[in-house]
Amino acid sequence: MSKYLLKRFLLMFPTLLGVAVVIFVLIRVIPGDVVELRMSGDRGSASQQAIDEERVRFGLDQPVWKQFATWVWGVVRLDFGTSMWTGAPIGEEIKLRFALSMQVAIMATIVAVLLAIPLGVVAALKQDTWVDYAVRIFSIAGLATPSFWLGIVFILLLLIVFKWLPPMVYTPFWVNPWQNLLQLVWPALAVGYRYSAVATRMTRSAMLEVLREDYIRTARAKGLVQKLVLSRHALKNAMLPVMTVIGLEFAFLLGGLVVTEQVFNLNGLGLLFVQAVAHRDYTLIQALVMIVSGFFILVNFVMDVMYAWLDPRIRYR
Amino acid sequence: MAIAQAPAPELELEVPRVRSRWAEVVRDFCRRRPLGAIGAAVIVLMIAVAVLAQVIAPYDPLGTNFGAMLSPPSAKHWLGTDTFGRDVLSRLIYGSRTALLVGFGASVLGATLGAILGVGSAYFAGRVDLYLQRLMDVFLSFPLIILALALVAILGNSIPNLIMAITVPMIPRCALVIRSSALSIREMPYVDAARAAGFGHTRIILRHMLPNVMAPYLIILTAFLGQAILLEASLSFLGLGVQEPIAAWGLMLRGAAVEFAESAPWMAIFPGLAISLAVFAFNLFGDSLRDALDPRLRTQ
Repeated sequence: MSKYLLKRFLLMFPTLLGVAVVIFVLIRVIPGDVVELRMSGDRGSASQQAIDEERVRFGLDQPVWKQFATWVWGVVRLDFGTSMWTGAPIGEEIKLRFALSMQVAIMATIVAVLLAIPLGVVAALKQDTWVDYAVRIFSIAGLATPSFWLGIVFILLLLIVFKWLPPMVYTPFWVNPWQNLLQLVWPALAVGYRYSAVATRMTRSAMLEVLREDYIRTARAKGLVQKLVLSRHALKNAMLPVMTVIGLEFAFLLGGLVVTEQVFNLNGLGLLFVQAVAHRDYTLIQALVMIVSGFFILVNFVMDVMYAWLDPRIRYR
Repeated sequence: MAIAQAPAPELELEVPRVRSRWAEVVRDFCRRRPLGAIGAAVIVLMIAVAVLAQVIAPYDPLGTNFGAMLSPPSAKHWLGTDTFGRDVLSRLIYGSRTALLVGFGASVLGATLGAILGVGSAYFAGRVDLYLQRLMDVFLSFPLIILALALVAILGNSIPNLIMAITVPMIPRCALVIRSSALSIREMPYVDAARAAGFGHTRIILRHMLPNVMAPYLIILTAFLGQAILLEASLSFLGLGVQEPIAAWGLMLRGAAVEFAESAPWMAIFPGLAISLAVFAFNLFGDSLRDALDPRLRTQ
């Protein structure tokens, strides 16, 4: 067990380093750099000398490998540097937005779980009946509907039916929880519906598989009522793959909010990323990608550990 | 069902019988999987609309008419007009071209390159496999849209570049799945036989192994189609994909559609419906195809 864990733990680092290399190289291939973009704001009056001076200030005149080493060393110490566009420390730029995106992601996950597990179980129990078909259509529709469009439709419906618009200015949860929820529940619903689709299908197929197992037949044969068979024997065993899907999707949700945040005018990580790309803000893009990908890699690791912990068959391999 | 049992090489040998068998397969698919058949019908319809766009579209998709700005759906403009007085229906019809072009382009490229990488990785095994897997892990740690966004920023936003940007993040996702099916195929006697006959690596991979991962390949391809269309719409919506004045569904939802959502909801509703319907059809078809092709998931 500990050997497996150690191996799995160490495996995270080459992947993280790979992500760092890829994003570092990628953004330096993007034509135009932050200095040029910022200076051209002054109607292109900046002299070549001024541009060069700025580049020196950001260390952009250094050889690429040196820039990379400096940056990675910073990341290791959890210091992401300062934004090349605003000049503010990256940590501060990200802090507030991270809280917002995280909250939407958590709320969307709750929506997804509340939708997915009952629907998936019902579909599996009523396999090949109209209920199963209805759930299937509902979940495939969730995958097909762009969540940003669903967001627009929500806003439209609220406006036309209730003559009411959700607040468009962000209020932190601890300032006014009600106001905060009124604003964030809509993007959470729009994203959560899409997110539930994958989990519903996973619940359905995992349940179908488990329901055919011998121990379910045994449980039924000894006269256990359906409710107990489902909750104690079937659901417990079917939850593992479902948890994995939910966990992995959650990790991607942080970055995946990119488009939906735009619709609801939420100043979250997604919006920040789009702006950072537009501004060629190297340090900010790097930091955001490292955070989102690092989070994904970490969740992946935690999932694997949980698997090994819950399922002894994996542990002893 | 017979689909999985019909290997590609046999098809080339027996042309006359094969045709009737295909018809049989199609009929069987429609009967057993009505949802998949509906999806397929919508896809065929959409392709027809895209091909015949010039004939069907009532107006020029780029033709502005400032006398009829933001007019609601009517007999003249079935789905209304936008802020430039352009006919929404005509733009939707032409938009299907963009969606299908990017969708098919990116998913075919992504799934094919992914399949080759996946089979290659399984075939060579050992160190090559290990390094390729680590590389795939790296690319898999990026959310789809973030990688596509960064790539579009690098490549610039023409349609071929957009296809490239959507293709790249799809490759490792396909390679992962194909590799696991190819691992078992590598152990098959006919691969040994091919190796014993002295065939080169390329020939064994392309002629002997690749045709045998057709089932997962097709499943992934249809799944990617929907995703690629969605991704194109998302990027265009952000203003990083297809550029005005080209007709594209995601682009039609951008800017004015949201601003005027209350007074002119048709601008926001119909393009979204088109995206959803298209992706829905591809997913429905792909889902049924997976059920039909993957024996492990087949319902009893």
